Amino acid sequence: MKKMIKCTINNYPVEVEEGTTIIQAFKKLEQEIAHYCWHPGLSIAGVCRLCMVEIEGNNKLQIACNTVVQDGMVITNQSQKVKDTVRWGLEFHLINHPLDCPICDQAGECVLQEQYMKFGAYQPLMSEDKVKKRKVVDLGSKIVLDTERCILCARCTRFTDEISKTKELGIFNRGDRSEIGIFKNKPLENDYALNTVDICPVGALTSKKFRFQQRVWYLKKAPSVCTGCSTGCNIDVYYNEEGLWRIRPRHNSSINQYWMCDKGRETFKHVNPSGRLKSSFRHTAEQTEKMTTFQALQTLKLDSKKIGLVLTGSYTCEEYDAFLDFFQLHSIYHWKNNPKNFEDYDNFLIRGDKNPNTKGLLESINKRQLKLEDCTQLEQNISHLDLLIVCAPENHKLYPCLEEKINLFLKSKELVWISPHSHTLLQKPINTVWTIPSKTYFEKTGTFINHHGTRQKIKAVASIVDSARSLEEIIHILKTGQTDLTQIASIRDKMKTNYFMEQKGSL
Amino acid sequence: MEHKLLTEHYNKDNYKSLEGYKQCGGYETLKLALNKQPKELVEMVKASGLRGRGGAGFPTGVKWSFLPDNNEPRYLLCNADEGEPGTFKDRMMMEKAPHQLIEGMIISAFAIQSHKSYIYIRGEYTDSISIIEQALKEAYKQGYLGKNILNSGFDHEMDIYVGAGAYICGEETGMISSLEGKKGQPKLKPPYPAVKGYLEKPTVVNNVETLAAVVPIVRDGAEKYKAIGTERSAGTKIFSVSGNVVKPGNYEVPLGYPLMDMINKLCGGLPPGRKLKACIPGGSSAPVLTAEECEKACLDYENLMDLGSMLGSGAIIVIDDSNSMVDILSVIMHFYHHESCGQCTPCREGTGWLDQIVKNILHGKGRLQDLDLIQNISQHMMGKTICALSDAAALPAISFVTKFKNEFIDYIQQNKISSDNLNQVV
Ligand SMILES: Cc1cc2nc3c(=O)[nH]c(=O)nc-3n(C[C@H](O)[C@H](O)[C@H](O)COP(=O)(O)O)c2cc1C
Ligand code: SF4
Ligand code: SF4
Ligand code: SF4
Ligand code: FES
Repeated sequence: MKKMIKCTINNYPVEVEEGTTIIQAFKKLEQEIAHYCWHPGLSIAGVCRLCMVEIEGNNKLQIACNTVVQDGMVITNQSQKVKDTVRWGLEFHLINHPLDCPICDQAGECVLQEQYMKFGAYQPLMSEDKVKKRKVVDLGSKIVLDTERCILCARCTRFTDEISKTKELGIFNRGDRSEIGIFKNKPLENDYALNTVDICPVGALTSKKFRFQQRVWYLKKAPSVCTGCSTGCNIDVYYNEEGLWRIRPRHNSSINQYWMCDKGRETFKHVNPSGRLKSSFRHTAEQTEKMTTFQALQTLKLDSKKIGLVLTGSYTCEEYDAFLDFFQLHSIYHWKNNPKNFEDYDNFLIRGDKNPNTKGLLESINKRQLKLEDCTQLEQNISHLDLLIVCAPENHKLYPCLEEKINLFLKSKELVWISPHSHTLLQKPINTVWTIPSKTYFEKTGTFINHHGTRQKIKAVASIVDSARSLEEIIHILKTGQTDLTQIASIRDKMKTNYFMEQKGSL
Repeated sequence: MEHKLLTEHYNKDNYKSLEGYKQCGGYETLKLALNKQPKELVEMVKASGLRGRGGAGFPTGVKWSFLPDNNEPRYLLCNADEGEPGTFKDRMMMEKAPHQLIEGMIISAFAIQSHKSYIYIRGEYTDSISIIEQALKEAYKQGYLGKNILNSGFDHEMDIYVGAGAYICGEETGMISSLEGKKGQPKLKPPYPAVKGYLEKPTVVNNVETLAAVVPIVRDGAEKYKAIGTERSAGTKIFSVSGNVVKPGNYEVPLGYPLMDMINKLCGGLPPGRKLKACIPGGSSAPVLTAEECEKACLDYENLMDLGSMLGSGAIIVIDDSNSMVDILSVIMHFYHHESCGQCTPCREGTGWLDQIVKNILHGKGRLQDLDLIQNISQHMMGKTICALSDAAALPAISFVTKFKNEFIDYIQQNKISSDNLNQVV
């Protein structure tokens, strides 16, 4: 254990580990401190010069981000001297800033804007001409750069140097002609590039997909876990009445730190209403019959049938448990998104297993000492089955083998397809196919176990498709023959949950 | 009186060759040094009172003793970037007495037990580069460099690194970044170079003149060196005098030498009919002195500090009454604006802002409140950044506007347009 030392911050005594920087101590105490360049996940740049503090016995102000707390230090950022310096620091940041907040996508979550409202809000001193710089610089397929808005905090360059280690970004030229940029023919295309948009404190880096879509202050934010792969990065989902708009990483020091991959950010689209399966269907060669999920489950005859079950890693532990406890199964198959690269890992976050809960699936199986067969076994067994239930992937995009597998499943005498989405192949079958809408991670409460075995709770945020049911709810209907779902605790919880944006701005 | 300790043999044509250098006792001091304990040499330099000649005036022996006491590889870097406007003493040293620098560096390297050193020369100094290159070849050939130098068991490799000519690469950590192949930008301190410098290893950076001065110190003894100059500014210093004097050039004098004697006795005074208006005593970063202040000024660290200026790199820029102070400040501000590396916001934005304001005044577009604004901006650029370039831009701005306020007001009120003598001085 590290030695603890004492210091005083704005008159509050605090104990910190030896080696803690002053800015970390401020954060620990939740004392406000202005800063642009410091980011807890990056090295120290010490360039914005805004995090100034006054240390008793030291005439010269020091930057909090690069000064280590010494035992007995008395530190303040409330003195007039510090306040003047911060105000001037802001002035220096703003003199060449275009101030185009009204048309800037960052407005509402811009640190410069926030600090101006806090410490600035005065008549500008600068009447000279501003330095003109390039405004719509294309950095690649994902990101646009506005070099006039950039405050040269070097967060993005440190990210590509230290975290993605891809080094696409650099600061070119010098002095007030300095500009962020990329090298010729080397666009910012790495798998983690959009993190630079998150950490950019201003609207200099914006996401091509998200910009101009929504004003951020109209969005609510809810914590969740990414379902893009088995890493289970912690995320915040931004949404409104129309649906989900973007995903950003949420800090978790033992899983994703401050980051997530760009593909993970796309895993909200399948949640949105368009394209969702909105009621249950029974498809036969002759006809398609629409019905409620309740009706479908009532109509389904399970008794004395030889049932096979196909599971994917998209569902919660609670859902697997409910399913496995309820059915008398002939055989269970594991459907992987891509058996060839299932074990892949890029040594940072991205894993080949594109499911949030493969570990949970295996745990539920092992707990019951059941046998889990590979999906390839199904080929031989399918003719022995009367009914095949497929708990299909939540996000079809992550399953390149989708059609190939559906064609296989369609060979079954009777097929029950449970998924938030249907597929055209299912709609003109030779035999009977039931399609039953299931819930996405945004609509249900439960547990995912990530690749490392870490259990993470997700909570239902809102209902997107009313007819969608979680596997737990499906079992509840089958068991009780009732639609009243309030008996399931996790569902009751959901009714109460409503997350509003709690924190503003980026780190 | 001049005191030629380092410049004694500058006039000898063959002094830059190893042969010529040896005829004047060259590399004898190295032999002496290799027979001493490294620690002894460090103590000697400490006792001599030698202070850095690159600008900051930090005691050289003390700097050396900051190196950690371990076996880690360590580097000696010679700062031959000489970017401070008005300074041309290092260039002269490299062109006239390259071996003096090399000998000083080998002794210094032995003192700090470094086996690798670089001379970082600015790219514009093509002559210096080829002369030092030639001198290094000779030194290697004769066994003053390389393995087992003069059978002492001490190995040392020395190389040249050519910068691309950026002022900021003269700042020691900017130089280290550049040497590492990165963009020449100063590094955040701490850690200091003595602990984590070039390639993250302990590093000493010294100016050309500082390293060359190690030779006479070791040769004649610390006491003798200490006896030259004043109590706290020991030894001699080479001053580069430019501007409105009859005989501009490099002059080596004991520290503490009166500024007016430098101008009048050594440099032949001002051009006929001109009157002294001001003088910048330590390179463009040093606050300007008025004519009255010049009368009292002595060329040593303390005296100039007391007058609110500094000795800096020892570049004396003499300004007579034919010049406009607004013009000169505008040139200086343009320089810092151009050279700021741009990392730290107050420096990046402040240098550009100051440049623009002073240009506006110069072009008759100034406002009276600009004078206060210049003061305010400058105050908030000082002591707030990674390196001292920001201060170096703020200090002249403050001193010009304070001491020559009326000239600035003249420009603002009479809409006086830029005179043609722009660039004549700096
Ligand atoms: C902006 C800036 C430029 C500098 N340029 C030079 C230079 O060209 N040559 C030099 O010797 N020192 C220069 N210095 C000083 C160096 O940082 C450093 O203090 C010096 O090289 C140390 O050597 P010394 O102790 O022998 O003086 C500069 C400092 C700053 C802040
Ligand atoms: S683009 Fe954004 S993150 Fe990058 S340096 Fe500029 S302000 Fe900082
Ligand atoms: S690494 Fe995996 S869990 Fe993390 S954001 Fe990407 S897809 Fe999601
Ligand atoms: S003070 Fe100026 S030159 Fe020095 S590091 Fe900061 S921005 Fe660069
Ligand atoms: S946060 Fe400390 S200098 Fe930017």
